[in-house]
Amino acid sequence: MPIRGKTFIADFSRLLVADKPFYNPAMPTIEIKNLSKTYRVYQKQEGLIASVRGLFHREYREVHAVNDINLTVEEGEFVAFLGPNGAGKTTTLKLLSGVINPDQGSVEVLGHVPWERENEYRRKFALVMGQKNQLWWDLPAMESFRLNQHIYCVPKDEFERTRDELCEMLNVTSLLGRPVRELSLGERMKMELIAALIHKPDVLFLDEPTIGLDVVAQHKIQEFLKAYQQEQNNTILLTSHYMKDIEALCKRVVIIANGSIYHDGSLEDIVDQFSGDKIVTLQLHDDRSLEAISKIPNLIEIDAPKIKFRVDRDGVGRVLSQILSEHAVDDIVVEDPPLEEVISNVFSQAEEKGRREVETHS
Amino acid sequence: MAWAGMNWGLFKIIYRHTGEIGLDSGWHEHEFFIFLGTIWIINSLIQTLFMANAAEFSELIRTGNLDFALLKPIDTQFLISFPRINWSQLPNGILGVMLIAHSLSELMQEREIYFSVFSLPAFLFFIGCGAVVMYSVMICLASTSIWFGRNQNLYNFWFYITNFYRYPMEIYQRSGVGMALWGTFTFVVPILVVSNIPARILAQPLGTPWKSWEWGLAAYAIIGSIWSLMASRWVFKRALKSYRSASS
Repeated sequence: MPIRGKTFIADFSRLLVADKPFYNPAMPTIEIKNLSKTYRVYQKQEGLIASVRGLFHREYREVHAVNDINLTVEEGEFVAFLGPNGAGKTTTLKLLSGVINPDQGSVEVLGHVPWERENEYRRKFALVMGQKNQLWWDLPAMESFRLNQHIYCVPKDEFERTRDELCEMLNVTSLLGRPVRELSLGERMKMELIAALIHKPDVLFLDEPTIGLDVVAQHKIQEFLKAYQQEQNNTILLTSHYMKDIEALCKRVVIIANGSIYHDGSLEDIVDQFSGDKIVTLQLHDDRSLEAISKIPNLIEIDAPKIKFRVDRDGVGRVLSQILSEHAVDDIVVEDPPLEEVISNVFSQAEEKGRREVETHS
Repeated sequence: MAWAGMNWGLFKIIYRHTGEIGLDSGWHEHEFFIFLGTIWIINSLIQTLFMANAAEFSELIRTGNLDFALLKPIDTQFLISFPRINWSQLPNGILGVMLIAHSLSELMQEREIYFSVFSLPAFLFFIGCGAVVMYSVMICLASTSIWFGRNQNLYNFWFYITNFYRYPMEIYQRSGVGMALWGTFTFVVPILVVSNIPARILAQPLGTPWKSWEWGLAAYAIIGSIWSLMASRWVFKRALKSYRSASS
């Protein structure tokens, strides 16, 4: 067989594989213990004089990007990381993928320590970042896929099968030959996903994969991820600021704020725990009733003949039965407040808690 | 190319004033131009193969895109060292070959030059050693971007360092400062050895057979290449430990 460049690279990379056969499937897929990462950040005042002063005397501030995190994720789980900007979500994902080293704590993913960067581990996971591009900018995505095929040593027929499957699921087969720079953001994101999945990773880290995408593209990617995860039963960690992503995909939600885990549970848990209210919408039969009820506390809006108000979770039954006994009501809707609202409450509570902790420490 | 021409012109002028650089060192005009050609070849190899890649590496660090190189299950140093070949730097190497060929033919008319079947392979081998050492220096320089965040001075530093390996080592062996420079660039960063040995193989400034210290130096060139490659690998790994990625 003639020796070609690509084959050589594949063989070369195979040579570099360090085999570590031990992995006990009974162990959790991801186990994080007391993980901490602190950045020292140079504080610079504005202006030229401050710049000169900075040459001699530098002031630093410590940023606890990740602060004593403990987390266990089992095989096949789809977990969402939720938190305000700068909460430490991306840093956690970078630690898990071994891109950066921690200051403290231990992590095992599939039995490997990520920052040792063993090739065997790197063959088993993928990281997709919505804000960054890992495809060749000037070449068609196809070329990047091929490069990944060789880097990850995927046999040719398996590669072709996976690629065609993924392209079909995401409906991008016709775009394979187009240079990446000419793709739309949504199309490019789909290509990024395919590039990351060519080697069928057991663990997938997705950092805001739907950022900046329109509703249709977002929905498409959600559907894809859902179907893909069900089919492959791989473990996925996802960060996103879109509640729709999380509602559609994740049973388990981990809220991170100020580098610490603030809550770990299902979405319903969060709503139950952090939102004490229900939102009730009534459609009333006559204006007289509307006027009478409009004096109710916690009124949200009146859009005759509809009225919308907030009721304490425990008081829903009592309030409704009272209204029903006095007025004629055509329709009743009782719902949870919008998820965005609940989460934003949780975030501000978490930030408040973090601030208090800092104050008591200092 | 213009730079190569100026370089050549400058030494042409210098040799109007003197017959030899360094007393009894044997670096007469033709011998020296063989040396210069050798430097051009090594420089052009480095600039063709690694220069753009090293600059790109600094940029990857600054933008945080090194993340993706670190994820791939192949050696990271291998991955960042070879992605691009800058063909436009090759002509200087070809000029170097031409200069060597010309000077060698002139030299052979003046005195006897001894060649064996091993001369050319040995010359190429030590050119290779030279490329290895210079590559290591470049990787170390580029790795410092991890600590400094930004490293626009890569090309400047490169110029300062290569300034020292562009001359026969005899020119340093006169004064205390010179000896210190010679020691540094021979034993700490062995760039002097790897430019001097291949040139000595062809130019034979002290005639044949080689003196015993010349043999010793050749052996040291090999050890130096291995040691600098190991050192650069250590620096690279050390630097990656401090890598902090960038905002995303």
